[in-house]
Amino acid sequence: MTYNNANPDSFKWVGKRVKRIDAPEKVTGELKYMTDYQFDNMVWGKVLRAEYPHAKINKIDTEGAQKLPGVICVLTHKDIPGFNGFGIVVPDQPVLCSKVVRCTGDAVALVAAETLEIAEQALSLIKVDYEPLEVVADVEFAMSSSAPQLHPDGNIHSHVAIKNGDTKKAFQVADIIVENTFYSPRQMHAFIETEGGWGVMDEQGLITIRCPGQYAYRDRMQIARSLAYNPERIRVISSPIGGAFGGKDEITVQIYLALLAMHTNGRPVKIHYSREESVIAGMKRHPFKVHMKTAAKRDGTLLANEVRAMGDTGAYASLGGAVIALAIEHSCGPYKIPNVDLEGFCIYTNNGIAGAFRGFGVNQVCMGIETHMDMIAEKLGIDPIELRKKNVYHQGEVSSVGHIVKSSVGTFRTLETAEKCDLWKNREKYKAEASEPWKKRGVSLATSFHGIGMGIGLPDYGAASIELLPDGKFLVGVGCEEIGGGNSTVYAQVAAEILNCDISNIQVVQGDTSRTLDGGTVTASRSTYTGGRAVATAAPNMVKMLTETAGEMLNLPLSKIEIETNHLSGGGEKITYQSIYQYLYENRRTTRVEGHFYLPKEKEEIEGSGGAPHHLYGYLTHVVLVEVDTLTGETDVLRVVSIPDAGKVMNRKALKAKQRAEL
Amino acid sequence: MKTIQLKVNGAVHSISCPPAKSLLDVLREDLGLTASKECCGKGECGSCTVLINDEAACSCIVLAGQADGQEIITCEGVGLNPNLDAIQESFIEEGATQCGYCTPGIIVSAKAFLNGIDHIPAVDEIKTALGGNLCRCTGYTKIIKAVQTAASRNSSEKEPVKG
Repeated sequence: MTYNNANPDSFKWVGKRVKRIDAPEKVTGELKYMTDYQFDNMVWGKVLRAEYPHAKINKIDTEGAQKLPGVICVLTHKDIPGFNGFGIVVPDQPVLCSKVVRCTGDAVALVAAETLEIAEQALSLIKVDYEPLEVVADVEFAMSSSAPQLHPDGNIHSHVAIKNGDTKKAFQVADIIVENTFYSPRQMHAFIETEGGWGVMDEQGLITIRCPGQYAYRDRMQIARSLAYNPERIRVISSPIGGAFGGKDEITVQIYLALLAMHTNGRPVKIHYSREESVIAGMKRHPFKVHMKTAAKRDGTLLANEVRAMGDTGAYASLGGAVIALAIEHSCGPYKIPNVDLEGFCIYTNNGIAGAFRGFGVNQVCMGIETHMDMIAEKLGIDPIELRKKNVYHQGEVSSVGHIVKSSVGTFRTLETAEKCDLWKNREKYKAEASEPWKKRGVSLATSFHGIGMGIGLPDYGAASIELLPDGKFLVGVGCEEIGGGNSTVYAQVAAEILNCDISNIQVVQGDTSRTLDGGTVTASRSTYTGGRAVATAAPNMVKMLTETAGEMLNLPLSKIEIETNHLSGGGEKITYQSIYQYLYENRRTTRVEGHFYLPKEKEEIEGSGGAPHHLYGYLTHVVLVEVDTLTGETDVLRVVSIPDAGKVMNRKALKAKQRAEL
Repeated sequence: MKTIQLKVNGAVHSISCPPAKSLLDVLREDLGLTASKECCGKGECGSCTVLINDEAACSCIVLAGQADGQEIITCEGVGLNPNLDAIQESFIEEGATQCGYCTPGIIVSAKAFLNGIDHIPAVDEIKTALGGNLCRCTGYTKIIKAVQTAASRNSSEKEPVKG
């Protein structure tokens, strides 16, 4: 066999500048997103939202809406056959509220109608008798004993804590202590494709949901739970996605679509949120309040860090508990601080719902520790890069959360690179170039890190299938959706590399419970690594199938079969992929293989941490030039030097694009 | 209901629809041309950009009645696989599309912009020209580069072949 066995220099696809395989369809608009499908006999679905951020529901009267001509069905909590709740970790969010509403994004009723206008009119005819209750809008009030209790177990959804060493003693002996409170606001993903999709139930009772999402199999489980329906009879198609950034990780409209589809006599139902509805009901980034106290010695050695972070998850948990846990795991930066006392709270309020959003809590704490690093550097008269280099942990050392970091650590090298970059070296020159007398320029840097994958206690596996098709092409199937980052191209590159064929021979299908294996979420920076490794596990199985079949066809031993580019050969004869398919088909044998991959994990969880540590972390330093208008406060980011420790780069073109996107 | 005549991507269509239906909905629902997207529904994001008589416009705030008798070009009309326009090829080459949902609107805006100029535009010019198009994935740098690349392709095509 001649296939190149993991010598990166001879790679043809992996690590090269490869054009996105989905780009041709994207630049013409031919690609169909889930919200682009059109069906002739369709009906429109709409969701009735709560009128108050916190209120008791006394009565829901749908009679007027039911009677409106053109209305097909009006559904309330009474029409939910199964469990009236959803949520990735704790299903505490009602599909349709029954007794109480906890935020203005809450759903109270669903309507399906012949036109969007009729559906909207029907919503206005549903009479809900509310009794407004006291509103909890602030996390600290929510934690107090005088606040109304929003959920049966109180307003604290989760609490995580990590303690190491003796912070009290360290603060006593420290030469310098900085202490501040950092607030960060709610932020919206604002994906260009608002939440939406299609639901349809066929004559046999098979339900198909077309809706962009970040984990089709989990969406299917959540739908099945609410419908009390066999998940095998529900198909979820969730890819491609018109942007998500974490905001389509949780259920959006899938359950609404499925419920409505059960009442529309087989007609497809469409929901597509307006931007306003997306703002009201969609997921947001957790607003954080982070109190941080950091101590150092005169020479800059960090001694202690105390962190108390509160995240406002709004009315429901979604991934709030995990967001706060990840924030605490990362709250000391990529530094080795011997004494730490870290705790985080995920708090329920009547504000909009917060959940997964790129960065997943780490952004909010990074701001704190990196600001403190600059303040300590300034007070001690130490160069801010020197201070960071002095305190970063290296591979094999103990991190601030107290685990030995076994995988590679790139912080030091990203800092060295930052030190040498033009923007940093010549920062005084750049700072002096303000565009107006009332504007000021500044150059600063920050370094950060981020866990890859799910952490301890959560499944983190990849699965891929490769099928040889009648036309001699290979269909690679991976559950992880194409969210925009380009994982489809990565999967094709990996398959093309190992199968030794042109990338045009590879087709990729993603996010479809009928066509792809369960391979986990497209979140947590995991899909290239976990899905890509699953493809890399499946591909040798395909190579084996191809060679064995070719050997059989030519009646030659395997040692005589050569894997050449775009075909195989043996005994001077060329064997095409198509002829192998034909042979297997005629002999009624499978043309499909699978590959599975488990992400490596740490063995022991840090007690009370909610999933820390991760086995792998990514590291990154940014140097930034900003200009601030001292009259208005308006800030322009003029230049960013982004220095990622990217590890093995799968696609140089995609890396550049992604790096810019992350800014 | 009102019957309107539209010339879309070169083909004439007679469509019966409420006169207050948006041009965007007519394109997507009546003609199945779904490259143009609705993102904000109020002419702020540019995802629905089409050319109306060669001028870029947000089709979500144009009523079907207003479009009666006009000539419309959507992203599908700029080019379809495998016959791509230079601007589309440049977007592929420069990696200027990610999730891709905003891409057709940007392609149309860029096409209108490039149709009206005869030079390789500066970054600020492109920023102004595409100021009405929002993208959440790319950070715009590669989009701007792609427009420049397309402009230089166009100008090299116009140059006489050197013998």
